[in-house]
Amino acid sequence: MREKLTNPDHVRTWPGTIPVEHVYTVGVAGEAFLRAIKERGRLVAVGCPGCGTDYLPPRLYCERCFEKTGEVREVEARGTVDTFTVAHRDLEGHPLEKPQVYAFVRIDGTGGGLVHRLGEVDPDDVHIGMEVQAVFLPPAQRTGSILDIVNFKPAE
Amino acid sequence: MAKVAVVGAGMTKFVRRAQETGPELSWQAAKMALDSAGLTLKDVDAVVIGSAPDAFDGVHMKGEYLAEGAGAWRKPCIRGFVGGGTGVFSPIQGWYHVASGQFDTVLVVCEEKMSSCHPHPQGAFITIFDHITERPLGPNLLWIFALEMNRYMTVHGITKEEIALVAVKNKKNALDHPCSQLGAELTVQDILDSEVLAWPVNRLDVSPASDGAAAIVMCAEHVAKRVSDKPVWVEGVGWHLDTAYWTNRDLYYPRYVEYAARMAYEMAGIKEPRKEIHIVEPYDPFDYKELHHLEGLLLCDRGQAARLTADGVTQRDGDLPVCPSGGLLGVGNPIAAAGLMKVCELFWQLRGEAGKRQVPGTPRRGLAQAWGDLMQVGTVVILGR
Ligand SMILES: [Zn+2]
Repeated sequence: MREKLTNPDHVRTWPGTIPVEHVYTVGVAGEAFLRAIKERGRLVAVGCPGCGTDYLPPRLYCERCFEKTGEVREVEARGTVDTFTVAHRDLEGHPLEKPQVYAFVRIDGTGGGLVHRLGEVDPDDVHIGMEVQAVFLPPAQRTGSILDIVNFKPAE
Repeated sequence: MAKVAVVGAGMTKFVRRAQETGPELSWQAAKMALDSAGLTLKDVDAVVIGSAPDAFDGVHMKGEYLAEGAGAWRKPCIRGFVGGGTGVFSPIQGWYHVASGQFDTVLVVCEEKMSSCHPHPQGAFITIFDHITERPLGPNLLWIFALEMNRYMTVHGITKEEIALVAVKNKKNALDHPCSQLGAELTVQDILDSEVLAWPVNRLDVSPASDGAAAIVMCAEHVAKRVSDKPVWVEGVGWHLDTAYWTNRDLYYPRYVEYAARMAYEMAGIKEPRKEIHIVEPYDPFDYKELHHLEGLLLCDRGQAARLTADGVTQRDGDLPVCPSGGLLGVGNPIAAAGLMKVCELFWQLRGEAGKRQVPGTPRRGLAQAWGDLMQVGTVVILGR
């Protein structure tokens, strides 16, 4: 039986990366979604005229019945914490300076929701069922990204 | 095995950069294919997704990513991938889903979004080369084709002028395709005068990088007879993998295409392919590849495909129309979608629905072929009416 190699220098290796970057188009539905965030500080959802399934983020088509969805509608950027976690380490496994709460927020009056950060709240005070609202960057700082939403915070 | 029909086809425009996401492109093609068959998603029992490397779209597990747009919600779904051969392999997977008797109706959707990949998809291709012996040299995919093209030209004494006729023909044919990216009226001199990328390959010898999707609906005989008054039947399928050890084979002849073709001819009961195949859509990412593949498909003697082209035999109104769609050189090359586009073209041609591209003489049988991986995969589908 071979011993497990614990030092990669013990075998001859050659380092390499896949030298590409990606530029993702946001798509037809994504354009409507991010435009509403950037220009109006609002969220939009869309319903399926075929089966009634409701989408937030909006979709160009309904995955369940394949109908083209209709016009998007604006909704309040408020919702309920459906579930959450408190992250203590970053992507590389290093300790975070301060634990960060990530929640799945069901957006009121829609069939969907968003995963986002929770802020302005002590992690110990977060609970499932908590009502929250989105905090947007000031209009001049928005770029048309999901990060134009700074975080969600306890609803006023 | 149960008989399998194709009853619907659809495709998006092929473009350099689509605003639509991959799932949105997939939905457009899949919806068009279902609509053309008068079917809805409820009629679909299973879904086959074809897409080439994840690195193009920049999404790992691209099958799962595309599934919602491909109609796979709460359905059995598989994603197949054999590099450039994928677009003709996916309908083979669709065929065995139905031929096995397990499914009555299968939606086959192929998508590629190469514009996501920056600075160019070549950066993703580089890791397909051998890490130890080839990659340290910084190879470009064009080199492989250039090496193969040179070997092919030299063994048979074929000139670049003769090969350029293929690019002229296909780009011209593509002018009649409503989805085409690069239809153009060009001369042999235009091809020869375009920039040299890797000798003997010039820019206009090569198909473009593209975004797009294509889809077909396949079904069992009893469904086909109910939903379609002119189903097109899968008469033969074949696929084959040769060695990736280049040093152990001669690049001048695509043996893997021959073996895939022989498998399909045997299944279709075809003894004399040159007489029994009426339209061909061979894989043409480069102009010489059309010639190379016609020979591998046994549709002409080795080294004779350039002569057929020069004699006009492969024109849309010739005795053996080749790439009446406009091919990858003209319609565009979103890898997996480009292969399935060829199967769509046969479907439309055999039903007499190809519009300005229609081949005269009501063709009865056509063959589509794709090729890929490390130049060692051959995939073939024969459709007939
Ligand atoms: Zn629906």
